[in-house]
Amino acid sequence: MEEQQILDFVRRVSVDESLRREVVETPEHVIAREGFSPRVASVIARLIPHLNVEQPTERAVLTWWT
Amino acid sequence: MSPELEVILAAHQTLLRERLHSCLSTLHPLLRADVVFALQQPGKLLYSVEQAQATSSSYPPAGSWALLTFLSALCVQPTLSLEAVSSVAVALECFICALDLLDDVEDEEQTALLQVLGVPRTVNVATVLLACSQQLLLAVEHAGIEPARVLTLQGLFQTALLQATGGQHRDLLAEQRSVTELTLEECIEIATEKAGSLMALACLAGAVLAQADEQSQSLFAELGTLLGIAHQLDNDSHDLYAILQESAMYGPSGILKREGQEGSFAPSGKTDLRRGKKTLPVVLAARELKEPVPALERSALQQGIVATWGISLLYRERAGECLRKIDALHPIPPLLRSLLRLS
Repeated sequence: MEEQQILDFVRRVSVDESLRREVVETPEHVIAREGFSPRVASVIARLIPHLNVEQPTERAVLTWWT
Repeated sequence: MSPELEVILAAHQTLLRERLHSCLSTLHPLLRADVVFALQQPGKLLYSVEQAQATSSSYPPAGSWALLTFLSALCVQPTLSLEAVSSVAVALECFICALDLLDDVEDEEQTALLQVLGVPRTVNVATVLLACSQQLLLAVEHAGIEPARVLTLQGLFQTALLQATGGQHRDLLAEQRSVTELTLEECIEIATEKAGSLMALACLAGAVLAQADEQSQSLFAELGTLLGIAHQLDNDSHDLYAILQESAMYGPSGILKREGQEGSFAPSGKTDLRRGKKTLPVVLAARELKEPVPALERSALQQGIVATWGISLLYRERAGECLRKIDALHPIPPLLRSLLRLS
């Protein structure tokens, strides 16, 4: 399922520092290695600039939807 | 949009506005004023005509729902009666405007329109718009369209209404559920019913009016469904992003408190988030934490936003592929391509 591939990749980038570095330095290499379909590859290529935000340490207590 | 396309767009908008005013002319002036006010809200067909003309490059253009139906019909049959196609397109505009008003009331939004009209008049305007939509569909028969096709169009509107209200009801019920109970699949299903069904109607109604063959009708419906889902998910991710941006303004910890106020509060973002709508980025964020949580971490929310936006892009990719299939059967007019913003 392509949706799941996108979710998994976003999750892996958020927890794997070396993958995060690799995505910044050689995004084309990462996309090729992951073997995404052309459709998913196109999406990931657009997502990559947004995946590198430094993870903030503070917690936001956003309780109104729970 | 090129200057040539802007001229064509303005001509289409003028034609559609004339058809709309003609339909509204029979209403009592006091009622008509409120209905016109609803149709003058941002994005609607009568949205600030002068301002829209001054900033014609703004996207989406005023009346984009009507234009979608109008251009879909002309894509299939460029010589179609403009009276018929404008009637169906304006019927769609009234129909969508009515449902938007009802959604705003149900979601307790504080829109500019609700603040002026209040709930009772807003609900009445929505009812009038639904009636106008039906009247406009019936009028298509006077433009030389056979009764069977008019009946088919009415059936499409009713089916979409049932699907969209079904999705809205599931969305309202989800407010009472724990965020951890919802799944990606359920969120997509709700988006398909709420938003996909309406954009599918906008595309399909034009194709049916233009007597597209079965394969083309199916492709137009699929295109609308995919675009509707993409649009809904894009909205969900951007609404939450705006709230996170706003929350960052309230204290170094990011805790949503204003000085001098007790307890956490919802910022002035979208009401549906304050109400507890379980939009996909929130559901994905909760899933990351893998336990019932009274509060969601900002990092998980950011991840949910990016992932949701990625899935919305995926649906746009699929819509682009669908559009290319339609293009092979019926060359897509440049204005329709520009309206859809698909390559």
